[in-house]
Amino acid sequence: MSAKINATKSKDSGELIKNYHKQAFEYISKALRIDEDDAVDKGEAVQWYKKGIAELERGISVEIRATGDQYDRAKRLQDKMVANLTMAKDRLALLEATLASKSRSH
Amino acid sequence: NTTTLTTPQNQVESLMHEMADEAGLDLNMELPQGQTGSVGTSVASAEQDELSNRLAKLRDQM
Repeated sequence: MSAKINATKSKDSGELIKNYHKQAFEYISKALRIDEDDAVDKGEAVQWYKKGIAELERGISVEIRATGDQYDRAKRLQDKMVANLTMAKDRLALLEATLASKSRSH
Repeated sequence: NTTTLTTPQNQVESLMHEMADEAGLDLNMELPQGQTGSVGTSVASAEQDELSNRLAKLRDQM
């Protein structure tokens, strides 16, 4: 999970972080669309949160190999990903707990 | 762009060099890397902000 991913030659580390961001954004947006709708089965959101969390973790573990402005921008993006990782994990835990208590009462 | 994909790379390049010669441009001039990169990163940052807002809203509903 926390293994360092080295930027390949063709892509710089900033580009790599952006790619992980993109995937994470897509997955977590899907999770949120389900989670925000009270009329649907929220169990569907769990898998998308998990996928998004995994992508965030990959993006965060990228070592930034840049300097100056480029470093700052990449770092800021990573910091936001860290914040969202915490929030998404909290949300997932709550959702799973809610779903578990529901299935017990049935 | 399908046109670019189906046209042989060397033909495209020689044509570009021809055009550049006529216009007196240097094709090896590179775009400043930070410029193109910064646009993508700000979009990405804004998207992360959006996720934060939506996650916070769900959290506060509880």
